Amino acid sequence: MTLIADRPASGAARPYRFPQVIRRSVAGGQVVAAHLPGQNLAVAMLLLDAGAGREPVGREGLGGVLAKALEEGTTQRDATAYALAIEALGTELVTGLDWDTFQASVQVPVGRLGAAVELLAEAVRTPRLDPDDVRRVRDDEVTALRMDWANPGPRADAALRADLFGAGNRWGRPMYGDPDSVAGLDVEDVTVFHSEWFIRPGILVVAGDLDRLDLDALAATAFAGTGGGPVDRGAPIEVPVRTGRRIILVDRQGSVQSTLRLGHPGPHRAHPDHVPIALAGTVLGGAFTSRLNHLIREVRGYTYGIRGDFASSRRFGRFAVSSGVQTAVTAPALVEAVGEIARTQSGGVTEDELAVARSWRAGQLSVELQSPRAIAGALSTLVVHDLPDDYHARLREELLAAQVAEVSAAAATHLRPESLTLVVEGDAAVIRDELVATGLGELIDHPTED
Amino acid sequence: MPDSGYPWPISTTRLDNGLRVVVSEDRTAPAVAVNLWYDVGSRHEPAGQTGFAHLFEHLMFEGSTHVAKTEHMKLVQGAGGSLNATTNPDRTNYFETVPAEHLELALWLEADRMGGLVPALTQETLDNQRDVVKNERRQRYENVPYGDAWLRLLPLLYPPGHPYHHATIGSMEDLNAADLATFQAFHQTYYAPNNAVLTVVGDTTVDEVVTLAEKYFGGIPPRPEIPPAPDGRVVPATGVPAEETVVTEVPAPRVYIAHRTHPFGSPGYDVVTVLATVLGSGRGSRLHQRLADGERIAQPDLVGAYGVDLAHAPAPLIVTATARPGVSGERLAAGLAEVVDELATVPVTTAELERAKALLTTAWWRQMSTVDGRADALSRYATQFGDPGTVAERLPAWLAVTAEQIAEVAADTLAADDRATLTYLPQEAHS
Repeated sequence: MTLIADRPASGAARPYRFPQVIRRSVAGGQVVAAHLPGQNLAVAMLLLDAGAGREPVGREGLGGVLAKALEEGTTQRDATAYALAIEALGTELVTGLDWDTFQASVQVPVGRLGAAVELLAEAVRTPRLDPDDVRRVRDDEVTALRMDWANPGPRADAALRADLFGAGNRWGRPMYGDPDSVAGLDVEDVTVFHSEWFIRPGILVVAGDLDRLDLDALAATAFAGTGGGPVDRGAPIEVPVRTGRRIILVDRQGSVQSTLRLGHPGPHRAHPDHVPIALAGTVLGGAFTSRLNHLIREVRGYTYGIRGDFASSRRFGRFAVSSGVQTAVTAPALVEAVGEIARTQSGGVTEDELAVARSWRAGQLSVELQSPRAIAGALSTLVVHDLPDDYHARLREELLAAQVAEVSAAAATHLRPESLTLVVEGDAAVIRDELVATGLGELIDHPTED
Repeated sequence: MPDSGYPWPISTTRLDNGLRVVVSEDRTAPAVAVNLWYDVGSRHEPAGQTGFAHLFEHLMFEGSTHVAKTEHMKLVQGAGGSLNATTNPDRTNYFETVPAEHLELALWLEADRMGGLVPALTQETLDNQRDVVKNERRQRYENVPYGDAWLRLLPLLYPPGHPYHHATIGSMEDLNAADLATFQAFHQTYYAPNNAVLTVVGDTTVDEVVTLAEKYFGGIPPRPEIPPAPDGRVVPATGVPAEETVVTEVPAPRVYIAHRTHPFGSPGYDVVTVLATVLGSGRGSRLHQRLADGERIAQPDLVGAYGVDLAHAPAPLIVTATARPGVSGERLAAGLAEVVDELATVPVTTAELERAKALLTTAWWRQMSTVDGRADALSRYATQFGDPGTVAERLPAWLAVTAEQIAEVAADTLAADDRATLTYLPQEAHS
């Protein structure tokens, strides 16, 4: 048998290009579009300043209920007629929200985008919001959340978030709310939130073959009947960092795995260290070859996977590690994960590791930004974080230029191994004593629901 | 209406050792997708060796003759690439998408593990990846409500000895018993160039790919006799419904109805694909309209119907719904069965048909919107149907399906006396 022994060198790099970006003000709103010549599929996404951060404390999940209620009929047609009309174009109304925005989008063959945007606007701007429908949708959401919360993960996530950011703050509560917060919503909460945030123009993002699309017409449809200007989006929030680690144990009887959620507060999105922070996170827990995955999965075999990263929104951020490990190895997995975080904080990264991290993150820009949906997502990043048209090209250069010293400095500054909250969701009767014995921090039993 | 679902060039070359090399050039973005389908899956596993094809997939990332342990992932990610692999009953699939200048690296890595895995395979690696796979099983199937539905449905649909009888993830007992020699033999038996298709899509040329494929894969010898999996194409109808009820820790009653239909790629399965969309995709679907919006016995976001695209035996159609609070499993099962039964008796309207075809059209172009989506499709059609060009026929075939065909297929394959029904009930209700 003949195999070639020598690893081939890289060929000549092709120039990186992000699609041409077009920004235009039309009919009181803004359009941001990317030209994808020859692409058969097109995406339109309406971004509204109505993310979870706009929900009042105690009203978590309001945006999610409103999103469902949008499809319960409009002033022009009932729910079934609406569903049949939009699905006949080949799309559903896809809604989503994060801390910063609410998004509603459609994805169709390019020739149908105009009709699809008409239906998108009809639902977002002129929903019927019949009180009986809103109550039913709310009850369905409660049930859906209860189903979701029966899985491992949501309770651990909520415990971590509350401990990091304080349950008295909106950003210390789950982004999509929990079954109780949604159950407490009434019809007026929904109609008021709609009138406050959903009839401002917002921003229309379009990704597709612009030679076959009329941006002005799409925008005129999306912004028809809207009013009100932008509202101040608030400054970054100073989140106090805890002194001393703690373990929060969330009981899940009979669980064959323990769900780990480790974290501490981190920088907001506009922090000047954004790129070195992202690279430090990649070395520690981002790539498959990361320190955490290498040790906990590939060396120890404790888990199917473990990930860690810094995530950030406009006003706050956090570092977090998540995994599911076999119950019997919960304590050693936790000890070793904390050890890797501490080692990265104190010792920084190596050139070898950074080389992988920077090429991977840079290469992902060509590899992952292909489909209209992915390009629309990239455009929304520009919009939400006030970034320039050439952001992705510049990001690529910054990633490739990052040096060991600055990435290690970011790890030293922004990782806080001594301030970690360690949430473990698992079979408390089996793992509690071992967790205490790790000496990683004070153990607090999370209150059991019901 | 398009007359082709694949408006890009396709070229196929067969190397002397039998490796089929499929290339589809597209210079839009500076990236290439490399995709290998090996024609081996869990359908090849004999009794006592369930889960071996999938565990083997893990071993393929752990080093080969010229690639040190853990280096594979590091080299691909260090080149800016995305990579993964999947195993199902039919086949094992390895893929990476990399910036175009790293095509040669990707091909070198794939060739080294095709031709040189066995010398690098150690007991330590096997033990470690066995633990990883057992954790995958816990995480995906055991530790989540309803997570084992697929594991329970397969034996209800396919009799013992059928290649689809057991699930790809395998049993803990078999995984524990896996020994090194079996895996060495597994590689020697199935990981041969004449049992694989290599597809490259993106910013490259046919000449470049064929030259590189010849250079890196050309020296790997073919294997003359590759043992086929058991033939599963004929599964006699039992005439008796298969039913299983599981009382366990789940938040609400859930029902799955499953049928054996037709193999993926056959005209009958195209009808099933459209039928499943009419039945269970979107709010305008029959299940949503009848059970979630109409009778309000099912939770709106948890109704659905889909075919599982398997090509070597009658493929499953899975239909599912989860009860609203206060609705019993019995009532939900009856409602679900009624909607399925009506596919044979209540004709699908033009509006229903057009809605389904519009959704399928978008889904098709969504897969085709990335080089990796296209590469996977070309590997599939080359492996399963002998000609990657037949990929272009699928979308037109869906769009040609008629209401009469749906009624016929429903009458032929969705009979209540040949149905598998799996019901989950919450524990409290019975304690």
